[in-house]
Amino acid sequence: MSQILSSIFQSMSIAVFLREDRDNFKLLTKKPSWLNTFCDRNFEAGQTVKLGMLFPFLECFMYEAEDVWESKVNTPHRSGPWIEFTQHGEELPLEATAICQDTHSLLVIQDLGEEYYNEVVRLQSFREKSLNQEELQLEIDNKTQEIRSREEEIAMKLLTAAGHRDHETAAHVRRIGLYAEVMARALKWDDAIAADIRIAAPMHDIGKIGIPDSVLLKPGKLTEEEFEVMKRHAEIGADMLRGTNIPLLKMASEIALCHHERWDGSGYPRGLKGKEIPESARITTIVDVYDALIHKRVYKDASSEQSALKMMEKMVGKHFDPDLFKVFIANLPKMQSIKESVSEPARIPGSLAP
Amino acid sequence: MLQKKICLLGAFAVGKTSLVMRYVDSIFSDKYHTSVGVKIDKKQLTVDEQDATLMIWDLAGQDDLTRLRTSYLRGAAGFIVVADGTRPFSVETAINMYKEALEYTGDIPFVVALNKADLQDDPKWQVEPKQLATLEDLGAEIILTSAKNDENVELLFHKLTRKILDYREGEQHSSTMVDKL
Repeated sequence: MSQILSSIFQSMSIAVFLREDRDNFKLLTKKPSWLNTFCDRNFEAGQTVKLGMLFPFLECFMYEAEDVWESKVNTPHRSGPWIEFTQHGEELPLEATAICQDTHSLLVIQDLGEEYYNEVVRLQSFREKSLNQEELQLEIDNKTQEIRSREEEIAMKLLTAAGHRDHETAAHVRRIGLYAEVMARALKWDDAIAADIRIAAPMHDIGKIGIPDSVLLKPGKLTEEEFEVMKRHAEIGADMLRGTNIPLLKMASEIALCHHERWDGSGYPRGLKGKEIPESARITTIVDVYDALIHKRVYKDASSEQSALKMMEKMVGKHFDPDLFKVFIANLPKMQSIKESVSEPARIPGSLAP
Repeated sequence: MLQKKICLLGAFAVGKTSLVMRYVDSIFSDKYHTSVGVKIDKKQLTVDEQDATLMIWDLAGQDDLTRLRTSYLRGAAGFIVVADGTRPFSVETAINMYKEALEYTGDIPFVVALNKADLQDDPKWQVEPKQLATLEDLGAEIILTSAKNDENVELLFHKLTRKILDYREGEQHSSTMVDKL
């Protein structure tokens, strides 16, 4: 090896080994000082050593190196850095490179020295910035969640107040949202949109606020004219929620407008059919009917789960989207658990409805 | 004496090196020093009257610039996936790294360290139940650790070693059964 090359290897703290067999490697260059930590003092150029025994790290890399040597490809393959320690406990960052040169299988090991520490500084600064960004993102996520919870709370309070006229309860509106969210998640909706429907679905009847008491609270059957007045709640609700850029309210508006549309086109107010009806409204229609059937109302007793489902099955394809009904049935245990966990609080005699 | 290679994986800055330093050298530093490359430590221990030497491979944490080099896992008898209980993102990374590692190593023993448990009562501690459920579904035993307070650090390494020994016994048993057929 030329004197110049030898000096270069020495100044770069490089040791070049020639592979003799799977375990044994002959040192071709002058022994760099760092190698003294791992080898006998008398070990020198021209002698053979079992590198895998000296450096456990290389046991892993040798498999990749063997591939390089076998393929006789000229491209060097680097191990990536690993750390050894000198006898004084100082870090020694090393890197191995497998090269095939003129049919010779070579392994170059270099003390990375300053190059390694520059990389550490670069990565340290990158990772500290990443940590700060992660922390900020987490804070934003938490604040967003807080705002969403507040929005939900305010929406629920307003809905309960609005529903108070026709005896809808806070528990009912909350359940509608939770059922709808289960459906949305089962349908693999985006997380944020699935969270939106939890608040938007309960607003479906908000337009009832614009229906006169004489119609809304009339006991018994409505006349044809009264029913026409009642039907207006869908459009009133949609109008109330329209004209905003807030996605949640846009969804609430389409649900309010379309929750009385039917799959077969026989619904109101527009007579939309099938998938012309927004999916959010098709979901709300199913869960609203379910909750209404299994709970007591002033005008009816609660149906059993079984008879409610029988009634609903008859509505599939006419009233309900058949595919969504299948999703609903597949998620029935979750619906039942919502029904159990969100129930009406016991009423204190003489107090107002919750 | 039985010698086993184990690897520590996880996102950057979750405390992999701190866990190793606490376990091997009984020291801890509060300052974050990023790891680059691989550091191998050795520790002898006795589990169920069986002496063993662990070759602990501390692999540099994963980020956008550094991906897991799965070939480092070659020959590993087990691994520890480390996540930081104050960083939900690191739990997500742990789940993904576990899956990636398993593809390379096949089904070998592993445990999950949910580190920085000294902050459990701090609002910063934000482990999402959904993420924990995912880890449990993957068969993970989750151990809350704190390298800072030396909480469950020894337990972590002992649990993994015990799993490795049980796994080894199971393998030996099944190969004996096959031989008898």
